Amino acid sequence: MVPGLLKSFVNRFFRRASLESDLDAELQSHLAIEIRQRIERGESAQSAREMASREFGNKELIAEVTRDMWGFVAFEQLMQDARYAARTLRKSPLFTSTIAITLALGIGCTTAIFTLVHGILLRPLAFPSPERLAMIWELLPQTQKKNVVLLNNFVAWKERSRSFQSMAAFFELPMNLLSAEESEQVPGLKVTAEFFTALGTPPILGRTFRPGEYYRDEPREVILSYDTWQRRFGGSPDIIGKRISIDVSHHEVIGVMPPGFGFPNVKADLYVPLAIDLNDGRNYSVVARLKDGASIGATKDEIAAIASHTAQENASLNAGWSATVVPLLDQTVGGIRPVLLVLFAAVALILLLACANIANLLLMRSARRTQEMSVRLALGAGRLRIVRQLLVESLLLAILGGSAGIALATGSLHVIKTSLPESLEIPRLNEIALDFPVLAFAVCATVLSSLIFGLAPALESVKRDLARDLHAATRSITSGGRLRKALVIAEVALAFVLVAAAGLMLGSFIRLASVDAGFHAEHVLTVRMLLLPVRDEAFHAEMVGEMLLRIRSLPGVTAAGSIGILPMQGTNSGSWYYRADRPEPSLNDRPGGDVSIITPGYFRTLGIRILRGRDFDDHDRRNSLQVAILNQAASRMLFPNEEPIGKRVQVWWNRSPVVEIVGVAADIRHSQLNSAPDPCLFMPNDQQPFPFSSLVVRTVGDPAYLSAAIRRQIRQVDSDQGVAKVETMQQLVADSIARPRFETLLLTAFAIVALTLACVGTYGVVAYSATQRSREIGIRVALGASRLSIFRTILGDGFGMTILGVFAGLSGALALTHFLRSLLFEIQPDDPVTLAAVAGVLAGVGLLACYFPARRAMNVDPSITLREE
Amino acid sequence: MAASEPYRNRVELLQGTLDLLILQTLQWGPQHGHGIAQAIRTHSGDLLSVETGSLYPALHRLERQGWLAAKWKLSENNQRAKYYLLTASGKRQLLSEQSKWELLVRAISGVLNPAQ
Repeated sequence: MVPGLLKSFVNRFFRRASLESDLDAELQSHLAIEIRQRIERGESAQSAREMASREFGNKELIAEVTRDMWGFVAFEQLMQDARYAARTLRKSPLFTSTIAITLALGIGCTTAIFTLVHGILLRPLAFPSPERLAMIWELLPQTQKKNVVLLNNFVAWKERSRSFQSMAAFFELPMNLLSAEESEQVPGLKVTAEFFTALGTPPILGRTFRPGEYYRDEPREVILSYDTWQRRFGGSPDIIGKRISIDVSHHEVIGVMPPGFGFPNVKADLYVPLAIDLNDGRNYSVVARLKDGASIGATKDEIAAIASHTAQENASLNAGWSATVVPLLDQTVGGIRPVLLVLFAAVALILLLACANIANLLLMRSARRTQEMSVRLALGAGRLRIVRQLLVESLLLAILGGSAGIALATGSLHVIKTSLPESLEIPRLNEIALDFPVLAFAVCATVLSSLIFGLAPALESVKRDLARDLHAATRSITSGGRLRKALVIAEVALAFVLVAAAGLMLGSFIRLASVDAGFHAEHVLTVRMLLLPVRDEAFHAEMVGEMLLRIRSLPGVTAAGSIGILPMQGTNSGSWYYRADRPEPSLNDRPGGDVSIITPGYFRTLGIRILRGRDFDDHDRRNSLQVAILNQAASRMLFPNEEPIGKRVQVWWNRSPVVEIVGVAADIRHSQLNSAPDPCLFMPNDQQPFPFSSLVVRTVGDPAYLSAAIRRQIRQVDSDQGVAKVETMQQLVADSIARPRFETLLLTAFAIVALTLACVGTYGVVAYSATQRSREIGIRVALGASRLSIFRTILGDGFGMTILGVFAGLSGALALTHFLRSLLFEIQPDDPVTLAAVAGVLAGVGLLACYFPARRAMNVDPSITLREE
Repeated sequence: MAASEPYRNRVELLQGTLDLLILQTLQWGPQHGHGIAQAIRTHSGDLLSVETGSLYPALHRLERQGWLAAKWKLSENNQRAKYYLLTASGKRQLLSEQSKWELLVRAISGVLNPAQ
């Protein structure tokens, strides 16, 4: 109906223009014929023209009276309807603003979340022909999980594949940016030559790396990100050709990338060339650009085929391994997709709830307008015309609410973009914008809503028995009652589903947050850094030892230690190890596990207990007995039911040492809170020096106060050594569950909105029907009905709807909550305790919504209500 | 608006009869506005002169009612003009207008000559 009207309006609007020029031509031709006839009769050209136009009359005036005949009747009726609707709405501002606010809430939430869905999931990545970009991963034997890549295999793929235009490997690494004031460790990316060619984005200044891979002697060149160029080098254009000091060598700046450029989900301030070391382990990510016309499926087959060859050619490294291709967009947003879809479903439910509420309000009002409608019908107004007029009213309401909703979405988007913590790791956040597709979505949602909430009341209002209604005059009419009840039941059901989702998320989050990680995070400061390259790596161990010695002597520090990769980073360094007293396991049967390189003091600082044997100490030097500590999981894996202390283990690590187990430490959840402890083998930094070093420092008071003093001590050991990040351990733990916290918070907020809407909706309908029945109640009371029985009747009617809604919602929740499974931790989507609690909450809220109208009905004074009519 | 009153008045005066005259004229074939005005004048022995200010609103109204159709063609003198032609419903309308007119003429004659 409304789109039809709109279309005819647009058609007419454009047709009108062509009609105008047609009319002008027609009158013009009339004149021309007259002039010609006059000339043929022998008049002079000039007099013919003058006489003809005098006889013709005022052309503009003729055109005007002719135009009147076209009559844009439908459009004018529409305008008339709109004016009438605007008047009606202005007459009841409370009614109008209630509806507008309800709808604004619905449209606002929906639009805001759709902006995320569109900006993150749907919009193509910001590279030229982004659909041809993909990542290539190796697949682990057995589990077929994606794994970072061996450079040897990268070279094989690059040389043998036919379906890629370019392919590059890269590696994230903190880089030490040296400067006169203070050295700083910034995120950097080491990339092979075709990295920028593959992505296809040109630099805004200078050039990118020249084609052709380096196997050694890579050029000392660097490309800057736009932000780094602005922040560190003041955006000066003569930066090209300058030399800057990265780690311990000078690099020539050859290019600057445009603002916003970056590999998805990777933060990098600097890009330097990566030399291919064929002996290096599985450490690298690979990005590739498909040739024009190549399909992802075909490239998958090709890469898998090449991988099966390399698995045979180089069995010691590749046996059992395969490889696959993943489109870059999937790779980027795959993790957040389920979350966004759940949130989008949640706001869609809220919008539906809002529509149901508004439909209810309109139904009640249309019941009040029964007489107006009946009179108009009786006077001969077409039913269609009345339906249309009511729909125009709904559309006007929708436009009011919709524009407020879009304003709300714009505001919340601003908040989302500026205040969401980085720890949420939401991809493409900088690309989110309220642009044309989003606006189009908001407008469609608005128009659709107006149809949803407007159609039923409009049809209801003309579907009536004229004679009865007119006769009934002012007596109560309960038309639309059944529809209203159905709407209330639906509202309770929708709210149930949302509250159930929020309840499950809340339950999951509480379980996650109360997981015992196995260490004490309070009062611990962490300092992350990558040590500067040195000729003898033993020097690394000495540097760390020196730093720790100085830090331990600071007042307020009670313990300090170091570990290669901190807990709660979602990862750990890993390798495989086996008992030295047993034969080497076959390739496919290697027990893998984490390897952590630590210093003495690490366990004590984090409060991790040594269960057997001893901790490392200052006697575990470079040349003393090579030792290791196992966690409980590793001890169980290698020495089930045996005493591990004194046993020897072969470790696949830099120098492939055979180590003697001197202790067993308690398990901790190292990678993240939601995964059980992996087996882990600890070795001392003095014996196995490792360039990644994260200091952990236990303090007496707030650890953040010591941050400056600790930095100072590090600088005194090596003034060039920058620090990547200083954070408290508690912050690290909190950040590691920032995403589930955010999801839970949003869903809970949505659930509260839904609950409020359902409560208001139930209250409105019960209160309205109680008012409608006040005469009936008056009679009952006059005839001796007890007030309690009145109370019970009204409450029972309303509560009955709630209970029906709860059951409908329960079955809806059982059907839908399994979509949450991937977001839930240690709680089943059909968790009976949660669902029972949700049912209780909704029943309680429903009871509350019915209680007040029922109490008011109970106190009805028959002498007043009966006299009223 | 006041300036347009003369035209509107004449439309009022000719309402009904002008429609009949136009439909009647087009019975003999498609014709443009100028030609229609000329034909009416000629056939009425110059007694009836149709103002353009009445003719074109009437033509557009009849077209909108579906009794006339219009299309652009070249005239015999090679001038572009908008030709009107009777549609099927226009032909029916003509018949009904004709009989209404005859009724009216008979009625008015009866009033004017009560003797008969």
